[in-house]
Amino acid sequence: MKKRGIGLGCSWYGTGYGNGFPDVSSAFVEIHDDGSATVLTGAVDVGQGSNSIFAQIAAEELGLESQDICVYSGDTDATPDSGTTAATRQTYNTGNAVLKAVRQAKSSLLDYAAHEFSCPTSEGIELKAGYIGVKGDSSRRMPLADMVFQARLKGERFISAESSTARSTPVDPETGQGAPYWPYAFGCQMAEVEVNTETGMVRVLKVVAVHDVGKALNPTQVEGQIAGGVTQGIGFALLEELELKEGKINNPALSSYLIPTALDVPSIEALFVEDAECTGPFGAKGLGEPAMLPTVAAIINAIDDAVGVRITSLPATPEKILQALAEKKEGLGE
Amino acid sequence: MIEIKLVVNNKPYTLGVEPSERLIDALRNRLGLLGTKEGCGEGECGACTVIMDGKTVNSCLVLAVQANGSVITSIEGVGNRRSPHPVQKAFVEVGAVQCGFCTPGMVLSAKNLLDKNSKPSNEEIGIAMSGNLCRCTGYDKILRAVKIAAEEGKE
Ligand code: FES
Ligand code: FES
Repeated sequence: MKKRGIGLGCSWYGTGYGNGFPDVSSAFVEIHDDGSATVLTGAVDVGQGSNSIFAQIAAEELGLESQDICVYSGDTDATPDSGTTAATRQTYNTGNAVLKAVRQAKSSLLDYAAHEFSCPTSEGIELKAGYIGVKGDSSRRMPLADMVFQARLKGERFISAESSTARSTPVDPETGQGAPYWPYAFGCQMAEVEVNTETGMVRVLKVVAVHDVGKALNPTQVEGQIAGGVTQGIGFALLEELELKEGKINNPALSSYLIPTALDVPSIEALFVEDAECTGPFGAKGLGEPAMLPTVAAIINAIDDAVGVRITSLPATPEKILQALAEKKEGLGE
Repeated sequence: MIEIKLVVNNKPYTLGVEPSERLIDALRNRLGLLGTKEGCGEGECGACTVIMDGKTVNSCLVLAVQANGSVITSIEGVGNRRSPHPVQKAFVEVGAVQCGFCTPGMVLSAKNLLDKNSKPSNEEIGIAMSGNLCRCTGYDKILRAVKIAAEEGKE
């Protein structure tokens, strides 16, 4: 018989290295005389899209388009260390370093422009849509490229190097008190499954995933991260089992360690809640790892809802489910 | 060395290959077509997919000598930056690429499906793409991109 059930899973997750380990990212920035800017950072984009995020951050701050920003990343010969692409930290940590560096280079540009526009303070200068000018006076502005070009001829350069450190503390082993991570990411997912009581097979029919991302700097990427996380979560819950024997992996191949295929994924509805993180770049925080965590609990709960058995070790293979069903039957004295 | 003749991306080649050489090695090492990726080397992941005589094959499981006389399309033969194939265009539009390692194989599987069946159902798309593993995207946007490419082809 095929039985359906629905389950809910919630998660919170501390992003960054945490536990008092200084979490440092760095960036070099230069604003060029063609109206573009270069960002150098050690952060490695493994496909999650951090390079696009850094370009967006720099563009937003400089009043440019993201295609005006050239991001060089992950080159130990040329880029400053920005830590690992891990711990759900690049958008937040390196994003903050990029923003800080851009602001630093921008502030010397604003000072120069204030002088050129005979403005008493750089507070009165703004960068907008490729232009630099006096706030509220559209007659006193010029293309950013022209301003940087003129400045260049006078020997001015708009270059910066900045680091951003996320601070945390170790947890007191006695009291459990401390501030081990910042920021935290929150998520909630619901899964609907169908369990075949004869074969023990579980099919995930639908997952709705809602995540607090601070501010979604790139909604397409957020959806992609959520769908990727949910799918890994499905693998984690139902398929993926690392078999270790005497310290060696018994199944180091995709034929024996199964991951979900296109036929194993349900329709995934990815939603996000935007509650700006005040310490993050433009309110953003990380999403990478948190996206897969609630999936597992949601699926295990949905199995319970469907057939009334509690699976307590992962993955919930057909064998385990059949065994649990048999034990339940015995317990009922049938 | 054994001499084989084959057509790759509309160009005829005559190659000397080892008897045990795989098609993926001939494409990558002899022809410099590095778009074909090796993920697992055992026919499980589909990263090495190419179209051989109208069928998608795992080029890690085909011997170069078996490709003698065949017509092959690798990712280099499917559109380019200036004029992308509808599948490639849709992949970019919906954001179906993350690390990109699975992408060449995905695009070829999708292209071959649409070449044969211009109006695939969701199920047919799922089956056609199920031989290509992706660890990043969760397939969601990939399947959506294939659907968009199919719909565009219909118009
Ligand atoms: S490399 Fe050929 S199928 Fe994985
Ligand atoms: S995009 Fe990374 S494996 Fe598919």
